[in-house]
Amino acid sequence: MNVQIEQNENQYRVAPAGRLDTNSAPQFQEALEPLMQAVQAHVTVDCSGLEYTSSQGLRLFLMLQKSLSKNGGSLVLTDMQPAVKEVFDITGFSNIITIR
Amino acid sequence: MYQRFEPIAGIAGVIIDAVMDSPDMPQDPALLLKIRLAVEESVENIVNYAYENGSGYLEAATERSGSLLAITLKDAGTPFNPLDREDPDITLSAEERPIGGLGIFLCKQLMDSVEYAYRDGCNVLTLRKEV
Repeated sequence: MNVQIEQNENQYRVAPAGRLDTNSAPQFQEALEPLMQAVQAHVTVDCSGLEYTSSQGLRLFLMLQKSLSKNGGSLVLTDMQPAVKEVFDITGFSNIITIR
Repeated sequence: MYQRFEPIAGIAGVIIDAVMDSPDMPQDPALLLKIRLAVEESVENIVNYAYENGSGYLEAATERSGSLLAITLKDAGTPFNPLDREDPDITLSAEERPIGGLGIFLCKQLMDSVEYAYRDGCNVLTLRKEV
């Protein structure tokens, strides 16, 4: 998987591409680490390139959501593919993370 | 199709790919993604937790009878029934939701049935789905 992050002041745009599974989750976690520490960071994750997520990926999205709301920031996921959206729906993550 | 892997430490990805390459798998890409996710969650559990040092084996068998696909995963590790775990409460808020505990829940939701048995000193997990 490949992750691109663009920053403009406290706005971040994260674009993961490929498969988010046990093999790639550590790399995604490392990329997200600075955002989990940031104060009042507003993060948009462009999910259009995300083909698949396992529970390891869900875990990271929840960690990011928790740390951003604790630090006064926000998280929005956009352009999710149907297979990924289904996993968010099944696990109730669609109700706790903003998806547009 | 039957395959045996030993030792299994660090090769979850190889095992998942090998199971998904079975000729018993359906062609439909959307269905394949769901099966792959269920297989991944199950195999990861075994590779990470069944054996203390990961040096044991995992046997994977796939079988098709008509439109019913069965995937059986067997290990000789610590007896562990993943279905004993309570389902996560998916109505909680983000703040209240614990991190993790979703793997087997996802597997159960994606397959038609998931069964566990402890037989002859082995954990046997069987995933079934109409394909």
